[in-house]
Amino acid sequence: MNNIFINPQLTAMYPEIFLGIVAFAMLLMGKRTHNWKIYTSISIIALLISMVLLIRFDSSYVSYYGGAFLISNFGLYFALIMIVSSLYVAFSAGTTLKDNPEVFFATFLFVNVAMIIAAFSMNLIFIFIAFEGVSVGTYILSAYGKTRRNLEASAKYFFTGIIATGFIVLGSSYYYMATGTFNLISGVPEKGPMLIALILLFVGFGFKLALVPMQQWAVDAYDGTSNPVSAYLSSGTKVLAFFILLRVFLVGFSHFYTDVFYLFVIVSIITMTYGNFAALSENNLKRMLAYSSIAQAGYLILVIAVVSGSSSTFAFTVAIFAAMYYSLVYIFMKGGSFLSVSAVRKDKVEVNDLEGIGIKSPLFAVSLSILMLSLAGIPPTAGFFAKYYLFLSLISGNLWWLAVIGILNSAISVFYYLRVITVMFRKNDSNEFNLSSPVMLPLVLAAILTIGLSFVIFYYPQLSSIVYGLGVMGR
Amino acid sequence: MVTLFSYAWFIFLVPIIFAPVSAFAGWRKKVYGGIVASLAIAVSFILAVLVYFNINNTSVPIYQSFNWFGNINAGIYIDHLAIIMALMVSFVSLMIHLFAIYYMKDDPRQNIYFGETALFTGGMLGLILSSNLLEFFLFWELVGVCSYLLVGFWFFKPNAASAAKKAFIVTRVGDLLFIIGLAILYSLLTSINVSSPLSIPYLISNAPKIAGEIGAQNLTIIGLLFLGGAAGKSAQFPLHVWIPDAMEGPTTVSALIHAATMVTAGVYLIARVLPLYSNATYIAPDAVLFVGAFTAMFAGTMGIVMNDLKRILAYSTISQIGYMMASLGMVSVIGDSVIGFSIYHLVVHAVFKALLFMTAGAILIALMELRDVRRMGGLWKKMPVTVTLMFIGSITLAAIPPTAAYFSKDTIIDAAYMYYIRSGASIYSVLPWIFLVIGALMTSLYTFRMFYLVALGKPRSKLAEEARDPPIIALIPLMVLAFLSLTLGIVQYPFYNFIHPNTIHVSVPLIVKYTPLMMVVIGILVIAGVYGTGMWKKMDLSKNIVYRILRAKYYLDYLFTRVIAERTILPLSSGFARMERGFSRDIEATGSGAMGFGSMLRRIQNGIVEYYFVFLIIGVAVIMLILEITGGL
Repeated sequence: MNNIFINPQLTAMYPEIFLGIVAFAMLLMGKRTHNWKIYTSISIIALLISMVLLIRFDSSYVSYYGGAFLISNFGLYFALIMIVSSLYVAFSAGTTLKDNPEVFFATFLFVNVAMIIAAFSMNLIFIFIAFEGVSVGTYILSAYGKTRRNLEASAKYFFTGIIATGFIVLGSSYYYMATGTFNLISGVPEKGPMLIALILLFVGFGFKLALVPMQQWAVDAYDGTSNPVSAYLSSGTKVLAFFILLRVFLVGFSHFYTDVFYLFVIVSIITMTYGNFAALSENNLKRMLAYSSIAQAGYLILVIAVVSGSSSTFAFTVAIFAAMYYSLVYIFMKGGSFLSVSAVRKDKVEVNDLEGIGIKSPLFAVSLSILMLSLAGIPPTAGFFAKYYLFLSLISGNLWWLAVIGILNSAISVFYYLRVITVMFRKNDSNEFNLSSPVMLPLVLAAILTIGLSFVIFYYPQLSSIVYGLGVMGR
Repeated sequence: MVTLFSYAWFIFLVPIIFAPVSAFAGWRKKVYGGIVASLAIAVSFILAVLVYFNINNTSVPIYQSFNWFGNINAGIYIDHLAIIMALMVSFVSLMIHLFAIYYMKDDPRQNIYFGETALFTGGMLGLILSSNLLEFFLFWELVGVCSYLLVGFWFFKPNAASAAKKAFIVTRVGDLLFIIGLAILYSLLTSINVSSPLSIPYLISNAPKIAGEIGAQNLTIIGLLFLGGAAGKSAQFPLHVWIPDAMEGPTTVSALIHAATMVTAGVYLIARVLPLYSNATYIAPDAVLFVGAFTAMFAGTMGIVMNDLKRILAYSTISQIGYMMASLGMVSVIGDSVIGFSIYHLVVHAVFKALLFMTAGAILIALMELRDVRRMGGLWKKMPVTVTLMFIGSITLAAIPPTAAYFSKDTIIDAAYMYYIRSGASIYSVLPWIFLVIGALMTSLYTFRMFYLVALGKPRSKLAEEARDPPIIALIPLMVLAFLSLTLGIVQYPFYNFIHPNTIHVSVPLIVKYTPLMMVVIGILVIAGVYGTGMWKKMDLSKNIVYRILRAKYYLDYLFTRVIAERTILPLSSGFARMERGFSRDIEATGSGAMGFGSMLRRIQNGIVEYYFVFLIIGVAVIMLILEITGGL
């Protein structure tokens, strides 16, 4: 007799099922209480338990549901990163909610369910569904608050998101046309439809990553939504989109992505340059961070450029390692800096509104300075090591000219990151700040982690072994 | 193995430790600063005496070192040469500190002064006891910094501030040469796998082997670079220009640093590594000899025409150090005995020059810092004790028998004659002797001119008429020094043999032996003729070309500041600055260009979703186009 509860096809889905059940339970609880603290703690505990469940998986290279679901260390790593970013955001989201916190947190947990599924999917339909689950969830989250700005941001995000969905569906159908399957691991298909599918999928998934020319929703959406949601949009969902791009291109298009090397290079250069230059003259703090997040996406895409542009195994391994490490560091430095905006009691926060915070709360100022230095890639922060491995992979893949462009871009970005730091330590008594623990704690934690994570690189051998779980064993 | 931490370490550690203590002790009650500093140096002196007896009994150098970093061992190395220097420095420094308690009594910042001089003394003793040339160099820099601080001690005087800078910058030229020499020596010795390349005991005892392995030519280059460093520190031609300006500091500083101790560090450096010179080609020691001998004469000529009391003494110091250098340079012909000649003169000079400077200090206090000798005169009657002490210093400086300098200096001059005879009696090798003899004449001329103008005749200013002796108790250190400068001659040969066993006796023809003395007599006669008769008041020398050259100090200051600094380096640096400005203007243009570009990019972000879609479609079309062009599609 097979017990259904120990059937591996079911146990593999335990974290998702658990989170889903908790989410529904929360909706029911909404009948009784609207206390956001309860929901915050429940969702944090639920997320922690789901992490434990994830780690309890047999993380060997096993696939279920006819190859649609692949349990691997690589997916697990990204799933954990995304849940950590959710945890991080969940902690500070509660205070910003005026009514119905249970709906917010339930939606939040549903988004996480979709994320975990996306992390292990090896099938375009699975990926599509999971990705849409995340998208729809985040549309709702960004509309939360119901002010005119929230709704406008959400509407923009929604409309452009729908276009992206269209591209993904179209790309998937071209993929099916070429291969006869939605499974990412397929035989050697025709070239023409595959390349069209590649471009369409790249555009579709690139939306969430806010690559130029798909970046325009991002600045408005980040600016319009509440700070925890914009932190989440720019950290968790961005990592998800990046992860899916990695997986789709390195697995699904493993025979073709070398042909479109210049696509990645050009998009990456344009994205970096656009983000950095636009951030230079931006005075609105959140929009500046949004532009900086666009620029960071450009750096991330460099990884795919290395993989497609060089045949060196070492460069490949280092590039994937850089991608993994960068994602990990990125959620803390970007999420932390977005959450720090809440410290200013104002609706539209200018960079200059941070004046005087260095005197009121040196801890805040130092923490944010660390995050800024990390974003700019200055040692000894983890951001430096992330960029270091990224550029190392470029150089070892003989793409030194691309590395030069990346480093020049980093140099430009230093300007606006350092500007934040100098502003903070100026004297000004007129600004009012909210330095309560939901604002301070995530920020300080992020600062400690951005320093502490630089020690992760000593586990380079262990981490780089996970790279082989990607599903491209041949290279 | 546990080595006992030798008490000899405290010879230099005590003053360094007590430097801040004395600065703080003098915070409330100023006089404590001087007392603490003097006590610390007295402890150093007593320790040095103990070490002296220890070494004298066992004749084994004290050598303790620990691994500092890499293959550099730091520690102390005390042989006969080092302990003599340490005794001299701690003793003279103690005397000067005691006098400084009186001299600085009205200065509001005297605690700082004593902190700095104690630190200086510690640094100087550390330099002397160093067992490694790198450690030596660090102390060398430390005393340089202290010299800078103390010359500029009265920094509110613009002259003092600029003199401090000049002293620092000029010696920096020498230090640069020194450290280049160190670097070359280090890299050469590392390449032949020496375990501790810069260790002084190693360098001394293995000099012939080193010369064999790295080549005498390389050793010559190193020797010349070390000479550059020594010339900077010891104010030898052409790096002597800083000392006369350094006289702007307090007079006790001039006595301590610019007469007795720090300026002899260069001599000590060359004496310390003399085996390297004797194993190099003849060029290195000859360079030392000629630089020294030439400076001895050259500085003396300028001393004759100076009117500033302290500057006369400064040029005299340069000249006397020239004798010490010249003596060391004869090592290639006469052998290692020259260390004894040189160090003996060094010690004697330290004693009488400290004495002279401190009498000058006492006079300057009485005359309210009036330093022009033409406005003094007749002071022997006004301040008899001080001027008598100055008289003793002066006859010692002029080397009249039986003062100590007669023995020390004439030995060097005779050795120069011996050098001439032994190295084949050529015109080239007679030059040092001629230089040194002329130097003796110059010494006599400027010494007695100075003494005449200060002490004899009638007072030529109101201040000079009202001058009074300082309290006798303040002059006790000076009396001790005066006693020593009269009697040190007794220990001449024991001293030589202590430094270098079996020192040769210099024997020259009688006529040569008395030449320097005749020079002194000629000098006295000339001065008596010119100044004793009052003729000098009628002489107008301002048209005389020689006088003008001497007054302008051979135009060396002009050469350094006008020609080299203002005509060469300044235009060069302003050219660079212009380039830099252009560059930074370009950078600024880039920055504002980038900002403008960024604002332009942000204009795309206008918040209207329809435009976003248009932009998106164009973007996707462009991506397709790129793929078409790059040949993917």
